[in-house]
Amino acid sequence: MSISLPTYTRREMPLLGRQQRVRAIITTGLRREFKRIGALVVIGMGVAITLITSIVLVLFAPIFLPGEQLDLSFFYIPAGNTTILFFVTLIASVVGSGLIADDLNSMALTLYLSRPITQADYLIAKAAILAPLITMIAVLPLVLTPLVAALLGLFSWAIAVEAMGVSVLIGFLFTAFYTAVTLFLSSLTRRRSYAAAGVFAVTFGLTIPAEILANQLTNSTILYVSPWEDYLAVARAAFGVQGGPALDWPWALAILLAAIVLASFVTYIRMKAVEVVSG
Amino acid sequence: MTKVFGEVRAVDDLTVSIPEGAVGLVGPNGAGKTTFLRLLLSLLQPTAGTAKVLGHSIEDGVPVRERIGYMPEHDCLIPEMTGVGLVTYMGRVSGLDAKTAISRAHDVLQFVGVEEERYRKVAEYSTGMKQKIKLAQSMVHDPQLYIFDEPTTGLDPRGRTEMLDLVRVIASSPGRNVILSSHLLPDVETICKYIVILDGGHQIAAGQLQQLLTGAADRLRIDVRGDREAFAQRLKEAGLEAEASPSGVHVNRGPGVEAEIFRTAKALGAEVRYMGREIRSLEEFFLELVARNERKGA
Repeated sequence: MSISLPTYTRREMPLLGRQQRVRAIITTGLRREFKRIGALVVIGMGVAITLITSIVLVLFAPIFLPGEQLDLSFFYIPAGNTTILFFVTLIASVVGSGLIADDLNSMALTLYLSRPITQADYLIAKAAILAPLITMIAVLPLVLTPLVAALLGLFSWAIAVEAMGVSVLIGFLFTAFYTAVTLFLSSLTRRRSYAAAGVFAVTFGLTIPAEILANQLTNSTILYVSPWEDYLAVARAAFGVQGGPALDWPWALAILLAAIVLASFVTYIRMKAVEVVSG
Repeated sequence: MTKVFGEVRAVDDLTVSIPEGAVGLVGPNGAGKTTFLRLLLSLLQPTAGTAKVLGHSIEDGVPVRERIGYMPEHDCLIPEMTGVGLVTYMGRVSGLDAKTAISRAHDVLQFVGVEEERYRKVAEYSTGMKQKIKLAQSMVHDPQLYIFDEPTTGLDPRGRTEMLDLVRVIASSPGRNVILSSHLLPDVETICKYIVILDGGHQIAAGQLQQLLTGAADRLRIDVRGDREAFAQRLKEAGLEAEASPSGVHVNRGPGVEAEIFRTAKALGAEVRYMGREIRSLEEFFLELVARNERKGA
């Protein structure tokens, strides 16, 4: 065993700022996720399936959707594609559920928080690991679809660019919601499986019963409890779609934003309260 | 400083000055050591009062932690990372650039004695190796202050000796300071020159270890085989200032004291095995202080 210090005399090493420390957590986190086969498969399948279904819808719209107007409102169809909901939920479960829960379980949170970063830095870094992966499903296909449609000459560039802008906005809204909620659930438990089950419960446990009850009671206000229906209400308004369930988009947007803010705040408070030095 | 959790005063009006060098932090369970460490690391804010660590107020958490290397007691490593990967990563989270972090990681892993194993996953390491990785990650950004929380927990005698050697080398290096929190008082005794003893959130003793253990020159310690309490009582009746403790009977020196002690021993049929200046082990001193503190509390 070597017991001589390689640098016997202390030397002041210049430390980089907090931004770089947060970036180190993000890059290492993303690298770890891209090394996990499960995460890779889900991301790959998710991007491929959502993109293919969206583009197929655009290409074969005249056959599948006769009479559908080929304007901005057409791009609500790929935005409302349920494969997006499924794969976003799957990515949030497979990747996001363990982001904080694994650190709680291994007690690695102690290592992070005894470093010169704050709890907020830690949470921002974790959010920045999950959010780009969710945007690969919630934003990327929605942006590529109008691009492909414009390149094929099916839509004008003006409509395509507008559709891309709207898609980015609503895609980020959906990403922010799932990022905040997943990290909140992950911070509540040491077991990633519980957090993953929580993500599925938030998605399908709220959406399916809400839709069944809304149909049976013919009361569409019940749909406000479903984040997916809220997202669709905002997307309908953004793409200028008429019809659909009678949900007011400002309320739907307010519910989603409130959920994002509340989940983020509670996660932050939870992080502040976690015992990182126990004894 | 004071830190209150609900009705519990974990740190109660604690005023402590910790000098440079190797400092031992000891106390029974619930003494407030952990809360004190959390306050030092700026992971908790005091309910009242404040403190400075290396010239920085503990309210400014980040600059304080830039200067501290913390080795936690419990297992806290990221199992799927390699030893070198984890130490490099912690260097980067501490603010080192990528190149420096990896170079420092190799340096400190060599120092702690993790050689080829550094490329294995942490999950495959033995307890001793994990302790060394924990030590290495606390060193990677070359802090001024090291806080070691029970560094020898779970180690076999050889591992314990190795770990204490490493801690001793760090503690004796220029510009590096160590706070060693441990239940294993012989560990503290071998490493530290200064000691802070906490009990019930209070500081009950602090000072140079040598001075504390040697005691005052005008006090005698008598190691008696027999009933210490009765021995001390008999000395008190003879007009001496005497006190029984787990480490013996303590008597103030004065003319004719030695003769009185032997008379008392003869009368009680007790055997005097040692009589001289107070020299106690840290354990004896600690038990004595805690017992005295309990009596005060009662």
